[in-house]
Amino acid sequence: MRKDLEAKFLSDFEQNQNIAHKICRIYTTNQSAHNDLFQEITIQLWKNYPKFRGDSKFSTWMYRVALNTAISLYRKSTRRVKTQDISDFAYKIKATDYDDTEEVQLKALYKAIHKLNDIDKALIFLYLEDKPYKEISETLGITSVNARVKMNRAKEKLKNILNP
Amino acid sequence: MDVLENYKKAWDNQPEEVSKFSAIEIYKMAQSKSSSIVKWIFIIGILEFVVLNSLYFFIDMEEANKEYEKLGLENFIFYSQLAAYAILFCFLWMFYKNYKRISTIDSTRTLMKKIIKTRKTVRNYVLFNLGYLALVMIVVTIATINTSFDDLNGKQLLIITVSTLIATLLILGVLWLFYQLIYGILLKKLNRNYKELAKLDSFN
Repeated sequence: MRKDLEAKFLSDFEQNQNIAHKICRIYTTNQSAHNDLFQEITIQLWKNYPKFRGDSKFSTWMYRVALNTAISLYRKSTRRVKTQDISDFAYKIKATDYDDTEEVQLKALYKAIHKLNDIDKALIFLYLEDKPYKEISETLGITSVNARVKMNRAKEKLKNILNP
Repeated sequence: MDVLENYKKAWDNQPEEVSKFSAIEIYKMAQSKSSSIVKWIFIIGILEFVVLNSLYFFIDMEEANKEYEKLGLENFIFYSQLAAYAILFCFLWMFYKNYKRISTIDSTRTLMKKIIKTRKTVRNYVLFNLGYLALVMIVVTIATINTSFDDLNGKQLLIITVSTLIATLLILGVLWLFYQLIYGILLKKLNRNYKELAKLDSFN
């Protein structure tokens, strides 16, 4: 990659890395797996950046590459011993300057999302990130109608897990 | 209000990641080696091509050719191997082309389709090889029976036919099981996710 392009990528990704962290949080349940997936996402973004034409926003493009990496490319390492329990996923969510009930809700939300399948995780994530159906259907490669149907089902599943 | 709206608010207000990576750390990560499933598919695919074709090095070809000559099969073996190599290169080319087309910029569904297609190229090659192996074994058996037909009685004939059949099936069966195992482990998650996405189409 050209030097100026490298610099542009690094600054773009550094600013938007929170998107990748959120995806890592929903697709992994401990810190080492989180970092492992984050690294794979970084590699994929880097590799594909020269092809990024800028006709969409960097963040939009990033959602797609990062989700694709989590769903289709990432292979959980079986060698790794799980050091942290699933309920520990919110290890980094601090209570300071932060509403207590919201913290509880957020933890419950992550815990519930972990129980969904990979595709439902992606749908719920895109819903939570306020993505329009057009973008959701384009990202996943399904029609808008299907995206709506599938989204409603995923939301129902999530609600049932949150309030059984 | 929808129950999820409350949770969504909590989601929107969640704090940013505490341990963010610096540009230097990101640069270092980007240089590291990918351990993605696509990479594994490529490595294992190449290994399969290499292993299947290096099996010939373990067979004493001169000795085998003498046997083939005795059976009058040298032409069949020569031309069928020529064809097998041509087909090998076709498969290799298709495998490489499919592999190159895999891109994370595609939609999730297209990406999964391309990965599965790449993997299927290798699977088809293995199936082709197993088929070829079976064909050679059958032809050799028939030729053996033909050349020594007069010396054999009905019982011996039956034993040769049945034992060759069993041996062929056994070899093919073991190879096939072994193959299903690698294929299953490697693509389990991907196949499941692909089915989950594709399932949508059948509903509408």
